[in-house]
Amino acid sequence: MTMVLKPGRPGRPRRRWWRREGVQGYVYISPWLLGFLMFGVAPLIAAFLTSLSKANVFRTIRFVGLDNYQKILTDDPVFATIAGNMLIYVIGSTIISIGLGLALALLLHRDFRGNHVFRTLIYVPSLLVGIATAYLFKQVFQGGEVGLANMFLGVFGAGPVNWLGNSEQPWLALVALILVNVWFAGGTMLIFLAGLKGIPPAYFEAARVDGAGPWQMFRRVTLPLLSPVIVFNTIMALIGHIQVFETPLAFANNGGISTGNPLGYENSLGTFVTYLYVKGFVYQDMGYASALAFIMFAATLVLTSLVLWFARRFTAYGDSERN
Amino acid sequence: MQDVLDKPRGDAAPPAAPVAPRCRRKGVRSRWGLTGRITALSLFCLLLLFPFLWLVSQSLKDTNQYFARPFQWIPDPVRWENFTDVIFKYDFLHYIGNSLWLAVYAVVVNILSSSFVAYGFSRFRFPGRNALFMVVLATMMLPGQVMTISLYRVYRDIGWIDTFWPLLVPKLFGAAFEIFLFRQFFLSLPREIDEAARIDGCGTLRTWWHVILPQSKPVIIVVAVFTFLGSWRELFGPLIYLTGEENRTLPLGLLYFTSPFGSSLPMLMAAIVISLIPPIVLYALGQKYIDKGVAIAEIK
Repeated sequence: MTMVLKPGRPGRPRRRWWRREGVQGYVYISPWLLGFLMFGVAPLIAAFLTSLSKANVFRTIRFVGLDNYQKILTDDPVFATIAGNMLIYVIGSTIISIGLGLALALLLHRDFRGNHVFRTLIYVPSLLVGIATAYLFKQVFQGGEVGLANMFLGVFGAGPVNWLGNSEQPWLALVALILVNVWFAGGTMLIFLAGLKGIPPAYFEAARVDGAGPWQMFRRVTLPLLSPVIVFNTIMALIGHIQVFETPLAFANNGGISTGNPLGYENSLGTFVTYLYVKGFVYQDMGYASALAFIMFAATLVLTSLVLWFARRFTAYGDSERN
Repeated sequence: MQDVLDKPRGDAAPPAAPVAPRCRRKGVRSRWGLTGRITALSLFCLLLLFPFLWLVSQSLKDTNQYFARPFQWIPDPVRWENFTDVIFKYDFLHYIGNSLWLAVYAVVVNILSSSFVAYGFSRFRFPGRNALFMVVLATMMLPGQVMTISLYRVYRDIGWIDTFWPLLVPKLFGAAFEIFLFRQFFLSLPREIDEAARIDGCGTLRTWWHVILPQSKPVIIVVAVFTFLGSWRELFGPLIYLTGEENRTLPLGLLYFTSPFGSSLPMLMAAIVISLIPPIVLYALGQKYIDKGVAIAEIK
């Protein structure tokens, strides 16, 4: 093959086509692009098509339109329970992650001896989240006097609580599930700390000179200036909590995932992902599970846009106050 | 989005925050405030630590001691053999091995692929670059389970179920958060070093490998730590794809923990301790390196 050399445009160094910046850029991002198409876009489309279909045991697939969605949203008492669980869980856990994370960051946002030790101690547990800590907290919230939680309550004279296996008060399991997030607030704390460090000290100084007290300082300086970080953290916390999986699975698991009920007593520990897992991979109803996944995704989008909508009003308010 | 970047680096950076100017008039008040702060933090840390101390204590007991009242914080006798039993008799050695090589693979591959892609995003101008980068960020919001269902069917049809391929192959293509971290770091590196390399006759590929990557130690370590932790604790993927006992990872071993020798909660606790140690050690090592790395990067 002969290479035909065309005269390059005047004033520009002649380059072969694959040497061009644009082409090279695409070459470098091509692994991601390829992965995105193969493991992102294609499965997403396939999952959507699956969610519109129903497959029986012989894998013959039938198109059923929005039947799966309709069944989930109107005619599935388990999903109704789970949606309720998720609403309580996500709100409760996000309040803990954000409130506690922010409070801890404010406490640590001053240089004092030992600051580093506290920061590390609070941050490290959030790195350990997973099935191991899920089983740990399952034992912590064990009923009777064995569990640490009940030992702790016993010190104050409160009776042992049957947290996880309570058929009369199944919501207690959900409370335990939410409380576990106290141990994992370190991640959001760290981001808040970084955000606090990004606020120029001059603002605090100016407020101090104007005679602002600690509360005013927090309300009028810290909160407005930190609001982008708060919004970011809230969205990340929401996404994370909606996808909670290991802890509820461990809490509900009574030896053997497939034999026990992975959703807990009266489905009190059912979450979107555990239910999806049960439907899709225990009962092999992929169409139903796909529809569940999209409903979960839709819930994520709705909550995220709610936060953003709220934030727009809030930050605008903060802006007008600052000026 | 600046905040995202600050997450690992902010934690890594030595507390370089400007020392808050002390106000002399309020000296007494702020000292009380400081005492209050430290008290509150100490109480909270105590609360945080209690389950973990309890865990270690319970992992060194036998079943009778586990349930004994009153509670003994320091077991008597201490049963260290719980740990060797879990590792050898309960086959955790095998699970740890599986988890370890998967995590090491994830770290190596993720650093290479993500930095490669990030190099493209940070050093080249091409049509659609910013839009595509927004797509990278947007993929972080997608719940992975949506894709898992269709991927599972594909893997099933090509016979990849109960093999490690479904966990290995997707990692070759970079991960969104890591690409983001690398890109932000690369943007902070001066372009002059690229120019110098180019003038010296380096192609872009060699620039990436010989110039950019050696400068990126801090972000490489951060990505390594986060990727290792992510792989080490991953449950959903292995649970679905690895159905046989032979291929179980550590999280799966924990999930299916049942004792062939009767009820054995202390053994479970020992298994939990074992699976928590590597992340803690890694963080301890990583943090030190990251602190240094960031300090070096800032001097230059």
